[in-house]
Amino acid sequence: MNLRFGYGTNGFANHRLGDALAVLADLGYDGVALTLDHHHLDPYAPGLARRVSGLATRLMELGLSVVIETGARYLLDPRRKHAPTLLHDEREVRLDFLLRAVSIASDLGAEAMSCWSGVRPPSVDPQLAWDRLVDGCARLTEAASKAAVPVGFEPEPGMFVQDLAGWRTLHRALGMPRAFGLTLDLGHCRCLEPEPVADCVVAAAPWLVNVQIEDMRRGVHEHLEFGEGEIEFPPVLRALADIGYRGLVGVELPRHSHAAPDVAGRSLTFLRAAAGQSGGAADRAPTLGQRAPGQRRPAGAVPAPEVLRAALAAVDDGGWLDEALRRVAADPSVISRLFPAAARRCGRGEVLPGWTADEAARAVLLATLPAERAVAQARALYRHGDAAEKRAVLRALPLLPVGASAVELLHDAIRTNDTRLVAAALGPYAAHLDAAAWRQAVVKCVFMGIALTCVDDLDHRADSELAAMLAGVADERHAAGRELPADAAALLARLKAEKGI
Amino acid sequence: MRIFDPHVHMTSRTTDDYEAMAAAGVRAVVEPAFWLGQPRTSPGSFADYFDALIGWEPFRAGQFGIRHFATIALNPKEANDPRCREVLELVPRYLDKDAVVAVGEIGYDSMTPQEDHAFAVQLGLAVEFDLPALVHTPHRDKVRGTQRSLDVVKESGIDPARVVIDHLNEVTVELVRDSGCWLGFSIYPDTKMSPPRMVELLRRHGTERMLVNSAADWGRSDPLLTRRTGEAMLAAGFSDDDVDRVLWRNPVEFYGQSGRLDLSDADAPADFAGNSIKRGGA
Repeated sequence: MNLRFGYGTNGFANHRLGDALAVLADLGYDGVALTLDHHHLDPYAPGLARRVSGLATRLMELGLSVVIETGARYLLDPRRKHAPTLLHDEREVRLDFLLRAVSIASDLGAEAMSCWSGVRPPSVDPQLAWDRLVDGCARLTEAASKAAVPVGFEPEPGMFVQDLAGWRTLHRALGMPRAFGLTLDLGHCRCLEPEPVADCVVAAAPWLVNVQIEDMRRGVHEHLEFGEGEIEFPPVLRALADIGYRGLVGVELPRHSHAAPDVAGRSLTFLRAAAGQSGGAADRAPTLGQRAPGQRRPAGAVPAPEVLRAALAAVDDGGWLDEALRRVAADPSVISRLFPAAARRCGRGEVLPGWTADEAARAVLLATLPAERAVAQARALYRHGDAAEKRAVLRALPLLPVGASAVELLHDAIRTNDTRLVAAALGPYAAHLDAAAWRQAVVKCVFMGIALTCVDDLDHRADSELAAMLAGVADERHAAGRELPADAAALLARLKAEKGI
Repeated sequence: MRIFDPHVHMTSRTTDDYEAMAAAGVRAVVEPAFWLGQPRTSPGSFADYFDALIGWEPFRAGQFGIRHFATIALNPKEANDPRCREVLELVPRYLDKDAVVAVGEIGYDSMTPQEDHAFAVQLGLAVEFDLPALVHTPHRDKVRGTQRSLDVVKESGIDPARVVIDHLNEVTVELVRDSGCWLGFSIYPDTKMSPPRMVELLRRHGTERMLVNSAADWGRSDPLLTRRTGEAMLAAGFSDDDVDRVLWRNPVEFYGQSGRLDLSDADAPADFAGNSIKRGGA
């Protein structure tokens, strides 16, 4: 396992920056998460260029990588902690600071620059706060993109964007720009995410540009030394290795500055031991596609829009998708002209198992729509789409915030005689089909010669009524001197055995 | 002999035709939107028809290993019906589709003011959507109709190299040849053009910018007359390369100007075998 560990300078608040770096390098850390602050590379003090240049040289001498953190408490306002944020009336002050941080990150060759939303001021209503956050992040991302510095936006408990779900919503509202990534604090995951920490890592994988680590307890946002909280670290570190994360894993203990050298030493010892216990990627059993009948569908059976977007980064479309997503995020109505062009722009090559570039791009475009527009647009794009567009809408449905309200699109697709549409209608969204319609559709597949592998949840959902219908088809086929397709025959045999028919 | 039929109304044909066409070497077709025998009375009928041209019909063609492309437009005859005029608002949405490779068929039927309007508007759409245009010439008063079509094309500002004037014959060929537009010839069992007459025109005018189609539809017509024309060319001493140019490379060059003519793998032999709905294919 080749994880690279770093330490946050906000945990060395009582050290000169140069001294902190020397201590960390001596201990064996690979990098440092540098929080810009009044005493650590103050971006507002004179001689910034000279100090940045000196620091770059020093980091190189010590062999330390760096990420830039922007969470200083009283850098912008001596009286109000963290103020102003991107949500405040004075948000331009924060944005100016973040843009300076991008420049510094660029000059230092930092692996990422990290930021958060801040707490929503009571005087700013949620909609205005959201609009300000989206606007600020869009401007920050544009600058970061030009500087080739990945932005790691960090969900922070108690802040306006406090969890992965909030990050996803923000990311989609921005049009999923590639330069807007995620800083994941693993302690925060333990504090408030619904999924286990290791699962959060896997879910976040495609957009992860920065990781913070410390121990924590459920429901209590307090950064703890390793061993004092509830996180079981070996599986978490294994998950980071398994997803191929190459960035820094930075210890975040801002309230331990009083004993910083000792805490940093103990932390690295702990992390190395935990990494040693976590084993390699090879001994990890595959988890997909091994569900027993009746077992719940594993999360991640359908790739999340973020995963599709990340996979599409490999497609050479001359920046078309980036621009298309930005435009749809700004004005949802333009999707009607961008959606049909996706195949011409992104091609039709496979980007993930079972997902071609055109279908993935169309799914991501749909996922960028605001929730209240998603159903109407999905219906319109399906209604006016060619077969490939219709298919893309059908496949994207489980990724959209539409509940069961688009199920009539499945009924339409199943009425056609186009094998591509019938097959696409029987994906995970078919969970919303009632039992009778679903059975009819499965039997229609058998008639049309569509492989039953396209039917999601088939083993779990197949019942004795379906068995009776298949038996009827088998009888007709036998009367005509023909056989059921092998997959249908196998299903029928299994159902007969299980249901005692 | 590989054949690209640049004008055939497959919606009106049976699977027997597809099977025979595939066996004769037809690997790709363009189906222009046109009128049906029965007049339509609402834009909704057109929407369903256009949907079929980009949905069901390509699927049907695919069963026989044939690539199916379409051109979309409000045709001149139905442009005269006030109940169908809203179709002009429907057309742009379809011009964004992958398999739509031109605006058409546009042009004249009876040369009315309504036809003037639909023709001019849709030539404008061709420019706006960066697509070629397929122009039908009228059956009645053909010479004047062809001349007037060329005038409208010129006025529209579209590059004549992106326009095909179709259903030409011995009387109209030179008018179009001098305009810089492409020349389309529909080979019919009795009317329009026949294979021997077509061979004679190719001999006299060469193969450049010449497109040969069957224009087969719901009337008496034959989708294999492209192949018969190729055979007549060979019998008359044209080379295999000449035939390939007229029946394949010319239509590919003309519709290729759309940037949407995806013929990857179209040179592979068709794998139609009675029932080619492939298991496992989706």
